[in-house]
Amino acid sequence: MALRVAEEGLSSCSGCEVAILNLGERLLALAPQLDFVHMPLLMDHKYFGQLGDGDLKRLEIPQAELGLVSGGVRNQEHLEVLQAMRANCGTLVALGTCATHGGIPALINGLANAELMERYYRGCETNDPAPDPTETVPPFLERVYALDEKVKVDIYLPGCPPHPDHIAEAVLAFLEGREPALPHKSVCDACPTVRQGKGQLKSVRRFLQNAQYDPAKPIADMRCLLEQGLLCMGPVTRAGCSGADGEAPRCLKARVPCRGCYGPVRQNGNQMLDMLNALASNGIDIKTLPDRAGGLLRFSGAHGRLRPRPAAK
Amino acid sequence: MAFEPKILAFSCNWCSYAAADLAGASRMQYPANLRIVRVMCSGMVHPNLVMEAFSKGADGVMVLGCHPGECHYLDGNIKAQARLAVVEEMLDAYGLEPERFRLAWCSSAEAERFVEVVTEMTEAVRGLGPNPFRPTRPEDAQEVA
Amino acid sequence: MAKTINIQPVTRIEGHARISIQLDDQGRVADSKLHIMAMRGFEKFIEGRPAEEVPRIVSRICGICPWMHHTAANKAVDQCFGAQVPPAGRKLRELMQVMAHISDKILHFFFLAAPDFVMGAGADYKIRNVLGLAQAAPELAAQVVKMRQAGQMMLERFAGKVIHPVAMVPGGFAKPMSQKERDELLAGAGEQLEFAKFCMKYAKENVFAKLDQDALSLGRITTGFLGLVDPADGSLNLFDGALRLMKPDGSYLDFNCRQYADFLGERVETWSYGKFPYARVWGEGFSMDLEAPKGIYRSNTLARLNVCDRINTPLAQAELEEFRRRFGRPAQSTTLYHWARLIELVYACERVLEILEDETITDPLVRNPVEPRAGRGVGCVEAPRGSLIHDYVTGDDGCIASANMIVGTTHNLAPMNMSVRRAALDAIKGGQVSEEALNQVEMAVRCYDP
Repeated sequence: MALRVAEEGLSSCSGCEVAILNLGERLLALAPQLDFVHMPLLMDHKYFGQLGDGDLKRLEIPQAELGLVSGGVRNQEHLEVLQAMRANCGTLVALGTCATHGGIPALINGLANAELMERYYRGCETNDPAPDPTETVPPFLERVYALDEKVKVDIYLPGCPPHPDHIAEAVLAFLEGREPALPHKSVCDACPTVRQGKGQLKSVRRFLQNAQYDPAKPIADMRCLLEQGLLCMGPVTRAGCSGADGEAPRCLKARVPCRGCYGPVRQNGNQMLDMLNALASNGIDIKTLPDRAGGLLRFSGAHGRLRPRPAAK
Repeated sequence: MAFEPKILAFSCNWCSYAAADLAGASRMQYPANLRIVRVMCSGMVHPNLVMEAFSKGADGVMVLGCHPGECHYLDGNIKAQARLAVVEEMLDAYGLEPERFRLAWCSSAEAERFVEVVTEMTEAVRGLGPNPFRPTRPEDAQEVA
Repeated sequence: MAKTINIQPVTRIEGHARISIQLDDQGRVADSKLHIMAMRGFEKFIEGRPAEEVPRIVSRICGICPWMHHTAANKAVDQCFGAQVPPAGRKLRELMQVMAHISDKILHFFFLAAPDFVMGAGADYKIRNVLGLAQAAPELAAQVVKMRQAGQMMLERFAGKVIHPVAMVPGGFAKPMSQKERDELLAGAGEQLEFAKFCMKYAKENVFAKLDQDALSLGRITTGFLGLVDPADGSLNLFDGALRLMKPDGSYLDFNCRQYADFLGERVETWSYGKFPYARVWGEGFSMDLEAPKGIYRSNTLARLNVCDRINTPLAQAELEEFRRRFGRPAQSTTLYHWARLIELVYACERVLEILEDETITDPLVRNPVEPRAGRGVGCVEAPRGSLIHDYVTGDDGCIASANMIVGTTHNLAPMNMSVRRAALDAIKGGQVSEEALNQVEMAVRCYDP
């Protein structure tokens, strides 16, 4: 019998779902073994009955062996959908960095909701100022949460978006009844650039001009971008973006430094703390970095890591 | 009940822990708010440990090492010094007062200095009040680290 | 008995929304709304970030069209910093942005919209989707999946990352194109064009030929239109140009993107987190009344084909001429968004080939260094879902001081609400609610590809 799969996106951009589609022909090959019972991007199953007349207190998600949830938890609806997914799915996968660590939307955790509302509904140049929408829209939670702050998560699949190879691996492993083989080292471990040693660098600079490299030569001939003085989050970021047999991390392939989209190397690590420590221990003045909290926790601001700055006393 | 701060001190084996030992042997009085963890060198105190201490409820954290130039491992305390900026940055990000963390040096003979910095720290933290992120439930303890 | 119908979530769309339809005591549609259920606040949380980092952050507004946000943001930051983009950098940017339109259009037409037409609006919801389509027409599905994937991988191979790209940078592009890469892309782009021609033929024979008067009046409303045109000849331009705001009668105003706030305003309603842009410059205010709309204009494919004077690639121009002969200018039928989408697919493929055929695209100078400084920039491109506007102000440190954005789908929030109302009024009569009727309401939304 085919494996029943349910998929949901919460506070998200649909990029994780596109990553699933980017499996391409592999997805078609897997399709006979999978029975998608719920997936709002592609399918028409509704929460409150197909005639829209169900009880709004009973959000329906069909039973499934495997549940995939992308996006963080930002409002009451996300929370209810997540709880229904947990209740109806045997195994729950947190798909993508928003689900595992808050992702980019968790940058809002550095601000209070009231500041956001004031700016968005009354402070934009094009806006006719108006009160916050409050009727029939789900209320905001106080911040953006990763899934495991609200429910138990069985498999973590970080990445913004996760590489299709690892989505396939997670599903295949589940079909075969084994643990998925997912990367657990750092981006640097998967990066072929040349490291010549540390110690000469005293500061890091902003990415205002391109890295030094010979475009005719492979990435394996390019000097490590951190050693070139560019902030690169490789040392404190989980590997995986280069896929199962990739030549290099994806951003490095574009010759730009890593910004940490796979979240910390260990699920409960702290990218800001680890990066600052790595820089400071190598004699780099961390004050030369602009926007330290927002930059280093760009993808992992959930779990209480990024929080509003308290008012000055 | 009056607020009694809990202060965790990471003390290096070769200097500051010996100073604490000497203070004790000399029957010098210092606040009972201090909990000492002996480490081989102040340079091994990763900022993670400091932040974890705050997340587990410490109201103040100290790292105590040898004077610059006197490190048993040559430059461990210089590394600790470099990491001071990291701790300050993290405290700032979490909205904790910088005075809740202190890096200080004292040699194995400086029992009086040990008593002095510990007393100062205790009084300073007493003035700041409890760590606002002091967990009330075990699961909250995960939040700050 | 009066009741409320909730279509939640609206499915086979790219965002997150809910439709509520109120029926009165006689079972007539008394009211309906399309609610946007969330707001993430990118405008607010990019404040304080170094501007050169922002193009890598705002791409996350949309995982389906991240290249559009990436491009618009880079154009805005260029202006803030006074950067001059070298010619090859500009060509690579347009190439990437237009290529990204190709797989987006294939995704929308076949994965999201086509099941309604191929399986039927009233087909069982369990098979009315792309997987049902794959079982009903396996060869077609295999071809579609393969070509969409190929388009995505062309971007990924050259630019490293296809979803949430990083290769464009303020001042230009992060890497030059080698001759080998150019040759590979040329070969791939040729195949994409052949596939686009096939899609157009397939859709004309199997979908558009069957559009009767009922289908063409699904969610029909009368509005103005907005889109970028090339200032030189008024032709379709997805990458750059002047904004053209057309009234329902076909008269129009062209304006520089930097002036957008003089021409467009945004309303807030109490029942949706999304804002409702309207044509402030028309001076008639804002109303979503079906009989007497005020300030309402539409964006996205149909709008672009209505506002442009011509298309400068031959196959797409021929399609546009046929489209105009049949439906006039401006065409108002909401269903025609799908047709317009495929004409743009042909254009995008032709344009990609044109750009690649220019051998100066391999010039190694692709980026000029930039200096952080105080400034203002408005970056505008045509995203698949409409005119995309990123407006940034930077401080002396080159960090974002404030930002305003109007994204493609947002322009269509008011028209979508109106089309939902129209479709609900037409599909639900005498309190009779069927799955097919509710799907027709959703089909009206899907035209806009929100």
